[in-house]
Amino acid sequence: MSERQPFKLFIKPELEGSPLVVAWNQDAGGVGQKVAAYLNKELASREFAEIAPENFFALSGVSVEDDIAQFPESKFYWCQGKNLAIFKSDIPRYQWYKFLSLVLDIAEKYCKVKEIYTVGGMVSPGAHTIPRMLLSVTNSTETKQTLRQYDLISDMDYETQDGQRPTFSSFLLWAAKRRNIAGVSLWVPVPFYLLAFGDPWACKKIMEFFDRRFDLNINFAGIDDEITKQDREIAQVRSQISELDSYISKLESNLGLTVEESEKLVKELEEWLRRRH
Amino acid sequence: MGLRLYEEPKLNKPVLIACWPGIGNIGIMAVDILRRTVGAEELGEIEPWDFFYPRKVLIRDGELKDLEFPVNRFYFKKTEKKDLLFFIGEEQPTDGTGAYAEGTKAYKMANLVLDMALKFGCRRVYTSGAAVAPIHHTVRSRVWVVPNSADLIGEVKSYENTVLMSDIEGRGGQGNITGLNGLLLGVAKKRGLEAICVMGEIPIYIHGFPIPYPKGSKAVLEVLSAALDIEVPMDEINALVQQSETEIESVYERLPSEIKEQLDKLKYVTYARPSEPGPITEEDKKRILQEIDKFFKKEPGGD
Repeated sequence: MSERQPFKLFIKPELEGSPLVVAWNQDAGGVGQKVAAYLNKELASREFAEIAPENFFALSGVSVEDDIAQFPESKFYWCQGKNLAIFKSDIPRYQWYKFLSLVLDIAEKYCKVKEIYTVGGMVSPGAHTIPRMLLSVTNSTETKQTLRQYDLISDMDYETQDGQRPTFSSFLLWAAKRRNIAGVSLWVPVPFYLLAFGDPWACKKIMEFFDRRFDLNINFAGIDDEITKQDREIAQVRSQISELDSYISKLESNLGLTVEESEKLVKELEEWLRRRH
Repeated sequence: MGLRLYEEPKLNKPVLIACWPGIGNIGIMAVDILRRTVGAEELGEIEPWDFFYPRKVLIRDGELKDLEFPVNRFYFKKTEKKDLLFFIGEEQPTDGTGAYAEGTKAYKMANLVLDMALKFGCRRVYTSGAAVAPIHHTVRSRVWVVPNSADLIGEVKSYENTVLMSDIEGRGGQGNITGLNGLLLGVAKKRGLEAICVMGEIPIYIHGFPIPYPKGSKAVLEVLSAALDIEVPMDEINALVQQSETEIESVYERLPSEIKEQLDKLKYVTYARPSEPGPITEEDKKRILQEIDKFFKKEPGGD
């Protein structure tokens, strides 16, 4: 095991009791990645620390995704002037608890963090035209109470099923609770046929919550353009391929699709949208 | 990363019997029966979060209530003859993606188990696992025994129904015990403790399936109960053996006759000393395994 410092501090951020938004690069529809990137851009964030990958990721080579070589990253950002920190990271392959402890150590030491918010997408069988909901899971009753005035679905009951395992966000919430740090997981459903392309509407839903909660004054023009563009493109597909239109109409009427229909919708929509990009 | 003790009983040079899940759950089934037979009480645990990814989350009304990890627990029993310590792990820690312990986590866990053992004055450790062998499921499993010191060879040879690595044809006393059931033996040696690993045989054509093999566990249980001088009623394990044999037989009966004929030859194989030429060759063995593999990759139910 490396004796190197487990993280690099680039600059000491001026943060005091700031919330920390945590986004994992691996989640349904790339919601976390997109939200973090958008917030970083709009709030002119600055990278302030990075966790060294060698103890947490397999570094035997590089993975290639969408033709591009990937390398694990775990970076902290400081939204200057907004007292907000963002942590954007790949989910580690090893030493999960050690990794989460390090995230919390950095958050406590340099952000004096009091609240942690994880963001992510969850696969939904619904249509993209149905308004997105925002679901929350908190790590204490008190935290749940503090979020009462927001439009959150906060009565979820869930138990891990056989063959599955808890999300890494749940693991973080649990670890945060051990340090008396309030933790909230925010989940937004992403229509299954948008998983490959992303769902800007889902991302906006989460950012609207942060905007209200932290008074960020985010400029949503960029994400609104993306929503309009994607909606327009899907509308074009629907007008040209009646079969796909019928599938989406079924979903809009809360009717389920067969496995074959779902696969066809995903495949053909993907092909059509890829041709356009 | 640490040990959590529920209580601190006074124990007199306890013997530690440690086990993690492995092939056919052979060791863990035997050790768990032994633990329940003597009525061992909970003593403490190894905090799991440094070693394992949680296996279950419980969310109620939008609130995270619990995160469940694999349990790694110690038990103890004071008896008139000798005091006992048990350690039963529900999962093997790994730095990689394999099912068996490896890397720094495994080494740390092995050391924590021994820290606890040494704290109570333990000088002797037993671990247990499976030995994959070219045997038929209808024959009695034997127990491969591996001590961590030459001084223990005489003792382990005296256990009934056991074989040493050097007794096994073609091995020349060499071998490998994967996972923590093996690693603990080495770490115990490094820390000056006597340790013996007892491994119940499992047929080579069954070991790849995720099913328990109680016949192997029974053989281990017999050896451990004799070594520790504990009388263990065999009703429970016998019932499990019977049930598993019925299940294995029902699959066996559905095998194509040519494969069954080959496998039946394993009833007469003697691969351990005294070694005699058996009716099954290495080539036969390879072909049998390939055919079985092919068979089980087909639709459930087979022919």
